[in-house]
Amino acid sequence: MLTLETLAEYGANVKDGLSRCMEKEEMYLKLVGMAIEDTTFGELEKAMKNGDTEAAFMSAHKLKGMLANLSLDPILRPVSELTEYLRGGSAEDHSDLLEEICMQHERLEKLSSQS
Amino acid sequence: MKNAFIRADKSSRTVLVVDDEPINRELLGSILDKEYNVLFVENGKEALRLINEHSTEISLLFLDIVMPGMNGLDVLKELKSDESTERIPVIVLTADVTTELQSIELGAADFIKKPYDVPEVILARARRIIEMSEDTHIIQSAERDSMTGLYTKDFFYEYSRLLERNHREKNMDAVVIKIEHFHLINELFGVVYAKKILRHVGETIKGILRDIKGVGCRAEDNEFLIYCPHQNNYNAMANIIINGLPELFDMPNAYLGMGVCTVQYNDISIEKRFERAKKACESSRLIYATRVTFYDEILYENDKFSEQLIHDMREALENHDFKVYYQPKYDISGDTPVLTSAEGLVRWEHPKYGMINPGDFVPILESNGLIQLLDHYTWKEVGKQIRKWKDKYNINVPISINVSRMDIYDPRIKEKLCNILKTNDLTTEDIFLEVTESVYAEDASKMIRLIEELRELGFKIEMDDFGSGYSSLNMLNEVEIDTLKLDMQFVRNMLTNKKSLRLVQLIIDIAKVLKVPVVAEGVENEEQCRILKEMGCKIVQGYYFSKAVSPEEFDRLIEETIAL
Repeated sequence: MLTLETLAEYGANVKDGLSRCMEKEEMYLKLVGMAIEDTTFGELEKAMKNGDTEAAFMSAHKLKGMLANLSLDPILRPVSELTEYLRGGSAEDHSDLLEEICMQHERLEKLSSQS
Repeated sequence: MKNAFIRADKSSRTVLVVDDEPINRELLGSILDKEYNVLFVENGKEALRLINEHSTEISLLFLDIVMPGMNGLDVLKELKSDESTERIPVIVLTADVTTELQSIELGAADFIKKPYDVPEVILARARRIIEMSEDTHIIQSAERDSMTGLYTKDFFYEYSRLLERNHREKNMDAVVIKIEHFHLINELFGVVYAKKILRHVGETIKGILRDIKGVGCRAEDNEFLIYCPHQNNYNAMANIIINGLPELFDMPNAYLGMGVCTVQYNDISIEKRFERAKKACESSRLIYATRVTFYDEILYENDKFSEQLIHDMREALENHDFKVYYQPKYDISGDTPVLTSAEGLVRWEHPKYGMINPGDFVPILESNGLIQLLDHYTWKEVGKQIRKWKDKYNINVPISINVSRMDIYDPRIKEKLCNILKTNDLTTEDIFLEVTESVYAEDASKMIRLIEELRELGFKIEMDDFGSGYSSLNMLNEVEIDTLKLDMQFVRNMLTNKKSLRLVQLIIDIAKVLKVPVVAEGVENEEQCRILKEMGCKIVQGYYFSKAVSPEEFDRLIEETIAL
């Protein structure tokens, strides 16, 4: 179950995230939950594997804005980095960044599923 | 969806959030929801559809830039290229510096970075942008004429001054364009068509302004002003405007007039320059073939003369430079004409210009309202003079005084007239009031009411210049008068023009029906006098008997009458 404490332990900047939610804890946690379940992570992974740079950029960009607003900093860092590479149309291998993103995503999923 | 526009429990303003990311939409929505009705859409196409349907209701748009399908920059381009949506301010949601610059260049009012600022900052920015946009909208509504899109007059003068400041090296011209006798277009083709003509002229002028880098406005119903760098060919400009308006020239008298005041007369304010251009435009009425008239030396001298007279007016009243002359009226019903009364006429003994006739200064004083002061002065002088004659000769010689067009708007007119009677111990049998028929055409109900009130006080009303206006007979049906004064043009022409002769007879017959006397003005010879007498006119005035004379000369006429 997501709590402010577990998210802080994860590395999220809970203070900033909460302030954007008008200090409404319930709303913040709900939005973080929505972010973890967002299908865009799967779409990014698929586009990266298919070498579809444009689709990958759209997904990464979308995730970047969403994660930034929720201040989920540990996953935001690799997503931001990947977004900038993809914006420039970079065809280099960014599998390390994708791995990092997947790993951070899994960490969040675990937090969410813990009872 | 529609209900979102009519929620009245919070703010009456609606903002639209366009973002493909639901979490961002919800975050921003929860911030904005404190102060606004918030609508959400998730793509550019849907945003444009909604905005086009509700363009007047949306106060602010939050627009994400990177979206699948139609992106935010394309939405921005569409909005800013359409007149109906161009006014909606847009705050762009972005995290990218290049996009920020691009969006500002495309017309975005502001941008908000992701991650978002604290909610207070977002709300403050929204408030500021909405306020600025609404202020701009109000200013734009006030500065533009809704029919033509040209400036309104006040803003036009401000923009003209700005234009002049920014182009000091250029000679600027003031141009007045007027559709003369526009009322004919209104009457013959209807208001809708008349508006179409005005819009067309407005559109053409807008096109011209773009080419000549000037500014323009619609100053009156049918009058346009242009302030622009000097042009060499104003006839060409007039022709451009006229093209496409052939109907104007199917009508006698309706035409496009243009008056230009060029740089040589630019030693005065912009407003004054337009007054001069307008005078030039009005003077073109005399020369139909000449469409474009320039303000020139002759008009300049006339203006100087008018301004001098207006300037000197008050001092002249104090110095008693205005002299009342008396135009004797004679009763010709008997064998010998007998002096019965007179009309008080004012002359100006000007220290510089000498004796000036009323025809030369009354129109000038009428145009700026000073005529009221002069009339009041004249009435007082007449009152004093009647008292003198009564005391000196113990006789009754009623004097008619003129009540000008402007006097009917004087709320104290009755009080002023009664005071003159009281001060000089006179009655309404001593002072008659001459009202010109043309006043009826200008403000019939006002004139009728005033005449009724003056008659209730006992004053006798003489209708001056009868037959010269448009509405003589109708007026007689609506208001009671005590004397008809036959317009002098009829008398002057009646020996050479049979129509004038028949009209004189007709007016005298009308007076008989109404049981009021007729006074014939402008009687210059024995023949005219004889015919008028045969027709039944009993009272005449004119050079044949006497011109208007000074009080001293009138003394002599009274003495002659007494001697009879």
